[in-house]
Amino acid sequence: MPRSARGTPTCCGDCVTDAAPALIVAALAAPLGAALLVTLAPSAGAADRLNLAMSALTAALTLALAAIALAASPGVAARGSWYLLDPAGGVFLAVIAVVGLASAAMSPFYLRHAGRSWFTARRSHAVYYAAFNLFWAALLALPLAGNLALAWLLIEATTAASAFLVAFSGKRSALEAGWKYVILTTLGLAIALLGVLVLFVAVGSGGSGLGLGRLDWQVLAQQGERLPGQATLVAFVLILVGLASKIGWAPVHNWLPDAHSEAPPPVSAMLSAALLPTVLLIAWRTKLALEPALGPGAVRELFIGFGLASLLVAIPFLWRPLPWKRLLAYSSLEHMGILALGIGFGTPLAIAGVVVHVAGHGVAKALGFYAAIPLLRQDPSAGERPARGLAQASPPTAAAISASLFSLAGLPPSPLFVSEVMILLGGMDAGLIAISSIAAVLLALGFLGLAHALLEGLLGTERGPRSRPSRSARAIAVLCAAAAVALLALTVAAYALPGSDLVAALMGNGA
Amino acid sequence: MSAAAIAALVVLGFGVMLVRRRSLATLLVAAQALLLGVAALLLAGDRPAAFLVAAIILLTRAVALPALLVLTRRRTPEPYLVTPATTVVVRLLVAAVVALVAVAAVPPLGLGDPPAEHGAVALLSLGIAIVVMRRPALLQVLGILVAENGVYLLAISVPGGLPLVIELGVLFDLVLVVTLAAAFTHKIHAEVGTGDTDLLRGLRD
Repeated sequence: MPRSARGTPTCCGDCVTDAAPALIVAALAAPLGAALLVTLAPSAGAADRLNLAMSALTAALTLALAAIALAASPGVAARGSWYLLDPAGGVFLAVIAVVGLASAAMSPFYLRHAGRSWFTARRSHAVYYAAFNLFWAALLALPLAGNLALAWLLIEATTAASAFLVAFSGKRSALEAGWKYVILTTLGLAIALLGVLVLFVAVGSGGSGLGLGRLDWQVLAQQGERLPGQATLVAFVLILVGLASKIGWAPVHNWLPDAHSEAPPPVSAMLSAALLPTVLLIAWRTKLALEPALGPGAVRELFIGFGLASLLVAIPFLWRPLPWKRLLAYSSLEHMGILALGIGFGTPLAIAGVVVHVAGHGVAKALGFYAAIPLLRQDPSAGERPARGLAQASPPTAAAISASLFSLAGLPPSPLFVSEVMILLGGMDAGLIAISSIAAVLLALGFLGLAHALLEGLLGTERGPRSRPSRSARAIAVLCAAAAVALLALTVAAYALPGSDLVAALMGNGA
Repeated sequence: MSAAAIAALVVLGFGVMLVRRRSLATLLVAAQALLLGVAALLLAGDRPAAFLVAAIILLTRAVALPALLVLTRRRTPEPYLVTPATTVVVRLLVAAVVALVAVAAVPPLGLGDPPAEHGAVALLSLGIAIVVMRRPALLQVLGILVAENGVYLLAISVPGGLPLVIELGVLFDLVLVVTLAAAFTHKIHAEVGTGDTDLLRGLRD
């Protein structure tokens, strides 16, 4: 596979690009090394510190990769037989790095008061961090996978690492959630694997050479009309339906609310802000790779169908008095639906919206889940009932929950407001006025539901005695300030995005 | 693979849907994997690398994974057999309808080998039906294995074979997931006192 340095205008562009493969290996080796090292830590505190240091290293390496990828747009920074470092991957790498680092930083606050878990207290930190880093490594490798088969293998690997984390508390409800997650997503991925095999055969019948390279994103896109139409369509439908179970699109979302509400909050943040969108990236890449063969029609309709179904299923739940983390889980379903619509519309404006949405949703949703740590610490019953009276009970938690819900509801100046408008306008651009209008109405209803939940949560009478702010509440105050700045910066960036090189790059598959 | 062998695979899949004993169901899935593994060895024939990979897959799927599940069953003794939510006749009918509808609904997959395509789709849909219909946790794991056996049937029927790295990668993921599911089965049994997943229905909205 030729390595392309197209789009690296500076004289140092080539040397940066040459460093990319080494940097990729380093960025993936760091979390794997961390997984190994934390198991050797002599104490829980040492495991906390070691994990934080290694996570900072992983995040720094990944952000460097993301910067290289984005700087090269609209070209591809680096390409090899199994990897691809393109602008789309850069956006997702940045989100995964930031959310992963924040989750690593918040994990000690969760673990300190986690009580009993699947493991003894002495081992629980080490085991938690080992699984966390394996999960993170698989997630980081996913946007870099240059090949559909490799991407499938990595998605399946994320299931194994994250299901254990979902059930980490060892409680009956957590076991139920983890069990559902493993069984349903594994079955879904079996369907996707059948699709991958069908596609592999279809490419072979088009006269391409043997081997793994047949499923390279670029090779697939170049095959174009040489691919047999019917078999390719069957493969695409199987792959998308299979991935839908992992993305959590309705109607195959049953595991999503349970896993997100039962997992430790830092893991819920990783699932919602990083895992779901990254699997969606693979669906998106598959769409871009097969669109030349299939034409826009059926491909677009499938994405829009999943998007509208997810919105329709999620919105009624946003109106119900749900416990905080469950509310966030249904909000994830809503936002995965919005992303599906944006990718389905596929116009440059909608795609610009998708990029902003992935980043904005990642920051806002992760902050919301982290806020659950001090919330549950102060009022353990918040795991079963909606939160009430937070403004009085714990101002830092209330601030974080407000910032998170405010953004997720899509109120200006949240970047999600800008991105949702861009996606809807993009839909109108594509001539899909009816669908865009329905989506707009659904989003408005979702906004009202979340605004209602926010008011109820902040006001109302508080439960239990008011306590001194915990250490986790102080940490959440710092994170809340950082997230607010990041969200505002994203809003500003969103205005510059339409028409930029980045969006131009995202319209093709880095080809 | 011959049509008769594929029919045998599907019959074994039906068996997993019907039998009550977890040990017997495990044996049926192991028999499926053995049949598939032998077919893969024969197809690999004179290609040493492919033969080696097929042998590794045979040993893992037909021996190691069933052994792990037998061990899991031993460690999770049930005081009494979990009563199925449905009768044998209903399960047989559901399995037959699901498999037939799936085979009829899925268009040709382009392998040029209709028996293998139909067998793969039938096994995949049977696996999903088993997970939905059967309550014991271990039987749900076996449902996943039936579905995965369907995918493997298609994989060995691919003209020219699959890249060996994909075959080994898929095997690695399967071992990972089944090991995890076995650990869950054990933990669920320790927590609930039975592997009956019907008792795990606390999370509802």
